Amino acid sequence: MIKEIIFYTFSSILICGSLGVVLFRNPVYSAISLILTFITSAFLWFLLESEFLALILILVYVGAVMVLFLFVIMMLNINKQKKTSRFNSIAPLSLLIGLVILLELITLIWLQSTQFKETEAIVSNALSENNTLELGKLIFSQYLYPFEIAGFILLLGIIISISLTLRTKKGKKTQIISKQVDIDPSKRVQLVDLERGKK
Amino acid sequence: MITLQSYLTLSAILFAIGIIGIIINRKNIIIILMCAELILLAVNFNFVAFSYFNQDYTGQIFVFFILTVAAAEAAIGLAILVTLYRNNESIDVQNLITLKE
Repeated sequence: MIKEIIFYTFSSILICGSLGVVLFRNPVYSAISLILTFITSAFLWFLLESEFLALILILVYVGAVMVLFLFVIMMLNINKQKKTSRFNSIAPLSLLIGLVILLELITLIWLQSTQFKETEAIVSNALSENNTLELGKLIFSQYLYPFEIAGFILLLGIIISISLTLRTKKGKKTQIISKQVDIDPSKRVQLVDLERGKK
Repeated sequence: MITLQSYLTLSAILFAIGIIGIIINRKNIIIILMCAELILLAVNFNFVAFSYFNQDYTGQIFVFFILTVAAAEAAIGLAILVTLYRNNESIDVQNLITLKE
């Protein structure tokens, strides 16, 4: 009973938060309601017994990604822009498209619900007590190569975002590494043949 | 008893809100990036729910990878946004007509 109360309360908070992301005029408010959405969904993931991912969602998303969003909103001076209408002219059409997508998904989910019946019988024997341990075992055995690729993607993200936003001042005195590497050593040192007794 | 259907319905609602937010928005690109995060969250919800109801950890592994890729995507998207703002002095979606002209 308590699980149902928690689920319905938190999912209504989740939907309100995600509506806030779309509807707020100020982007800072949108970012903060997105933080609310992430934290609420982390609680719902606790209900689904995936503790590690719920904590990672709070740490990575709320702690890193949303702070990045807020920093970018802070750096770009958006408020000085002229006031335009929040929605574009195709707003009713897009609302219609979204509602159609929602209806399709929900009919699909509830029509196929007979296939889900057998999966619910398994839930009685719960997953292992130590969620993190089981995930770690899988990651470092079966999914080792995807894990390495994920690390490489993060490295790519660092390099790309630094090289996109790096701006050097004009006339700044630094070494230009490409020129340094490009030097031909045979042209650098010139051997002069000096004859003896002459100046 | 909370069934798998209720979780799937919740994630479908999240997904639809994200789609509507992407299409409907004219004000700035930051909101569009946030709506992309919402859609990814809906997908992650599906994975976690199926992982719980099928008693299989593979779904949670996938969520792990999606979180990684989404973090990298947000970083690169915001970097592109910053360079765009430096060049255009605006991040209004309506001003992005360089390719049209």
